[in-house]
Amino acid sequence: MGSILGGWPSYDPHNFSQLRPSDPSNPSSITPTTYHPTHNRTLPPPGQDISTESKNILIRHFYKHAEEKLRPKRAASELLAPENGSKQPRASTSNAPS
Amino acid sequence: MSIWNYVVTAHKPTNVTHSCVGNFTSPQELNLIIAKCTRIEIHLLTPQGLQPMLDVPIYGRIATLELFRSHGEAQDFLFIATERYKFCVLQWDPETSELVTRAMGDVSDRIGRPTDNGQIGIIDPDCRLIGLHLYDGLFKVIPFDNKGQLKEAFNIRLEELQVLDIKFLYGCTRPTIVVLYQDNKDARHVKTYEVSLKDKDFVEGPWSQNNLDNGADLLIPVPLPLCGVIIVGEETIVYCSATAFKAIPIRPSITRAYGRVDADGSRYLLGDHAGLLHLLVITHEKEKVTGLKIELLGETSIASTISYLDNAFVYIGSSYGDSQLIKLNLQPDAKGSYVEVLERYVNLGPIVDFCVVDLERQGQGQVVTCSGAYKDGSLRIVRNGIGINEQASVELQGIKGMWSLRSSTDDLYDTFLVVSFISETRILAMNLEDELEETEIEGFDSQVQTLFSHDAVYNQLVQVTSSSVRLVSSISRELRNEWKAPSGYSVNVATANATQVLLATGGGHLVYLEIGDGVLSEVKHAQLEYEISCLDINPIGEDPNYSQLAVVGMWTDISVQIFSLPDLNLITKEHLGGEIIPRSVLLCSFEGLSYLLCALGDGHLLSFILNLGTGELTDRKKVSLGTQPIILRTFSSKNTTHVFAASDRPTVIYSSNKKLLYSNVNLKEVSHMCPFNSAAFPDSLAIAKEGELTIGTIDDIQKLHIRSITLGEHARRICHQEQTRTFAICSLKYNQASAEESEMHFVRLLDDQTFDCISTYPLDTFECGCSILSCSFSDDSNVYYCVGTAYVLPEENEPTKGRILVFAVEDGKLQLIAEKETKGAVYSLNAFNGKLLAAINQKIQLYKWMLRDDGTRELQSECGHHGHILALYVQTRGDFIVVGDLMKSISLLIYKHEEGAIEERARDYNANWMSAVEILDDDIYLGAENNFNLFTVRKNSEGATDEERARLEVVGEYHLGEFVNRFQHGSLVMRLPDSDVGQIPTVIFGTVNGVIGVIASLPHEQYLFLEKLQSNLRKVIKGVGGLSHEHWRSFYNEKKTVDARNFLDGDLIESFLDLSRARMDDISKAMGVSVEELCKRVEELTRLH
Repeated sequence: MGSILGGWPSYDPHNFSQLRPSDPSNPSSITPTTYHPTHNRTLPPPGQDISTESKNILIRHFYKHAEEKLRPKRAASELLAPENGSKQPRASTSNAPS
Repeated sequence: MSIWNYVVTAHKPTNVTHSCVGNFTSPQELNLIIAKCTRIEIHLLTPQGLQPMLDVPIYGRIATLELFRSHGEAQDFLFIATERYKFCVLQWDPETSELVTRAMGDVSDRIGRPTDNGQIGIIDPDCRLIGLHLYDGLFKVIPFDNKGQLKEAFNIRLEELQVLDIKFLYGCTRPTIVVLYQDNKDARHVKTYEVSLKDKDFVEGPWSQNNLDNGADLLIPVPLPLCGVIIVGEETIVYCSATAFKAIPIRPSITRAYGRVDADGSRYLLGDHAGLLHLLVITHEKEKVTGLKIELLGETSIASTISYLDNAFVYIGSSYGDSQLIKLNLQPDAKGSYVEVLERYVNLGPIVDFCVVDLERQGQGQVVTCSGAYKDGSLRIVRNGIGINEQASVELQGIKGMWSLRSSTDDLYDTFLVVSFISETRILAMNLEDELEETEIEGFDSQVQTLFSHDAVYNQLVQVTSSSVRLVSSISRELRNEWKAPSGYSVNVATANATQVLLATGGGHLVYLEIGDGVLSEVKHAQLEYEISCLDINPIGEDPNYSQLAVVGMWTDISVQIFSLPDLNLITKEHLGGEIIPRSVLLCSFEGLSYLLCALGDGHLLSFILNLGTGELTDRKKVSLGTQPIILRTFSSKNTTHVFAASDRPTVIYSSNKKLLYSNVNLKEVSHMCPFNSAAFPDSLAIAKEGELTIGTIDDIQKLHIRSITLGEHARRICHQEQTRTFAICSLKYNQASAEESEMHFVRLLDDQTFDCISTYPLDTFECGCSILSCSFSDDSNVYYCVGTAYVLPEENEPTKGRILVFAVEDGKLQLIAEKETKGAVYSLNAFNGKLLAAINQKIQLYKWMLRDDGTRELQSECGHHGHILALYVQTRGDFIVVGDLMKSISLLIYKHEEGAIEERARDYNANWMSAVEILDDDIYLGAENNFNLFTVRKNSEGATDEERARLEVVGEYHLGEFVNRFQHGSLVMRLPDSDVGQIPTVIFGTVNGVIGVIASLPHEQYLFLEKLQSNLRKVIKGVGGLSHEHWRSFYNEKKTVDARNFLDGDLIESFLDLSRARMDDISKAMGVSVEELCKRVEELTRLH
């Protein structure tokens, strides 16, 4: 057992070296000074007030897929032009109910 | 009470939810940062131990707390996310000692189902992004740019809907998360994903692991060079990486917290639900994991967080018991434990129930809480003010003054106690048996009243009477010299120190004497304009025996004047204003600052900061301590000087963080006080009160005193019975020793002085105590404890059976007098018109206490009222019954005597899930609900239609940010009927985080004034991390967010007193009210708790 219990990491060997244990039956309830900032730097520097991108995750997904679809199909479009055109109205009807 | 309420914290949260260690306040300093739900505490690691630095209120409930090191930075930053979807990154500015906001933001989504298993916030070890899991099916990413600045956040769809834990893996070229989740067949798995910042999407990760321990709940990422993750289950612990899989079985346990020990991640501390601390070791060779080992180290409080500090010291943060500082020893102690507890930090949470009692019968409320849970359950006695522990007392009427004297100048201890009466002076001294007996100092004039007495240099004593100043040897006790007042003049007031005497005679004559070896010399005389009412020459300069300043209080022009000594030149004159003369003045020094305190005849106290060099007075403040004249005296306790203000409301004035604080002394009325540090009673005070002289020691100087009674089991309900001087509690004990975990429930009777358990009534198997009440019934003079129970059977969703047990206390034992079976859980019991009102599942039921033919008693059902989901909380007033429902907010019922029926009168139609209710007055009811809000509703008796009258109108709303378990009418402070604060009715509440708070109903005028002050304070005191106070206090639930109304935040208002003078001036200008008036009005409010 000794081997795994030894060699505890030490950042500063002085830390806790002069600790005087308190009476364990009498728990301490010291609270430090309460901080009340009155300075102006509680607001972040410009550009660091972060928000989530407004584009909905689903819309982003659609756009991304649309882009992905568009790219390879641009090459094929010359051969399959009529079929490609017939797909577009169907995509718009599927959006309609929402 | 009223609808205008003031909410203030008497005891701050103590439940430790998070902790972390890092270099936060400077690159060299190591800090422990602790989150206590709505506050963080910054500590510094020092050779002496943990040194508290700062308590930081956060306008939110902290969901995650992480320290991280951005690229190229020498110090860590602190990331905090709140439950209401705000986050901030804080940095410590060592130059100004301020917390600066580096970034903040709102990470809420308009659509999304909040996660069931709590919010997760994690930071990539290479600081490329912050990851948040706040809504099911979504993982939010806040990327860092290469300068460490945060960029716009985005969501990624996460397929796993029941996520248990997410962590970042170490040593990955692209940021990679590992997700522990449960599938829809309740099996648990882990999966890894790489986060592609460019595509804003996940890419399938390097590995996954299916079918883990069914209790797997915690992931521990392992740093470089080993990498991978540890998955902690209830029966196994597994190490997993792309190349390795190692598992070990463990004794069945639920691991609640872990702390990494070594930077290379080879050892971890694990804390389980029973408070056992284990060490988990990864064995490895050539950076390859070869196995896992686990060793039991010992027992701590049940940990919610574990932080390895330094040199084998570990911080254990707890939600269920006191937090601890422990040391890991190399050798086990006698019980085989490697854990040594060196320090305990009070935690009252969770406060499940409490009662307000006056155990000492002094008119001062004390709160006795059911605190903690499981094995760490306890009772805590929380008392405001400073107690005096009586050592000895004698009956003595008519004391006019007291002074303690030493028998020689070098003596450490006081020997004599000079007690002055209207026409005589008596000397008391410690005899050889350490008893106080009457003695004589021959050189003193004992036939007259002593005006002042003091030790003097050269083994001498000074006595000032109306006709003379007598200098007496403390060795021979004989008169050595005497200064006589000129004929026709008598001394009215006098003061002295070791080398100086200052006295005033009629006609405004001020006489200054100096003391030599057997010599009393009149050095200076001055005639002032008016009569002198009080004076002081307490030395607070460099020389402890000689004062260079004298302060004098004046009749007629109501002023204090400061003179230089020895020449009696007037330096400063300060008009006090008003018509009340100063009755006691005192020069004193606290924490290196010099003060002039001036007490008036009406119980007010003025304080000034005094410039010792120039005599200039600044920072005038006025507080009301009592209603009678005050006499000020210094005393010391634990090597610190404090001031005792003797009056009808004795108070100790002390200083903390260079601010004067006033703490009540738990005594009724004190006419005089002097320190009396004798060998037998060291560090004691002599106190004259109500025809009695008492010698006693004083408690530690702090506002709230907490006494712990450890139970080793979980107390859930408490009730006090004045007549039998007992408490009764419902408690449960977990039996973890056996293989099958079992609970046993008890009703226990405790002595209200010793808190010893004097009787126990065990409940049936599966039966648990739900409610307890002390009451009596009509036609029966006995008092009883009534206990409501429920049979909680594993196969039932709601209990269908319970009991009401009626006990009498006979010869210190619980005697079961009657029992009545019920058709459900008895959630609440109330005394009601000499009968017993019970809330049983959906129903409110009224029972009569009937005498049977054989002389025994029984509970007989009279009438009831259906119509609740679960009637959990009930309060009554007269014939009115207020019910707090599980999910249907508050309803008002009325008992109709003629018909013997209970009917619904009105209800609040909002869907609030209640956690506590209380009746503030006939028409206004207070509720707390499970989204941490408070609200008040009003009965609308004057409504034009039946529909209007049947509706309880919501009149106040407020986000408390705390889960309230109980309200009780009462007060933590002694209430003086003739003080302003004494008129304000209050309700006390207790919360899961261990907060004890006070809700005070204010007069409308005062409410409006404080509302204005609050809105001005909002502009001056900023929210840490840019969080908004207005937003924080807005009523918030799943359905709505509305501004707080008819509730004020007392914590913000009272922080006015902590502001610098310049900031106070700003607010004073904006309000058009003087700083002195503002301080006085806020100081009065602080006396509510």
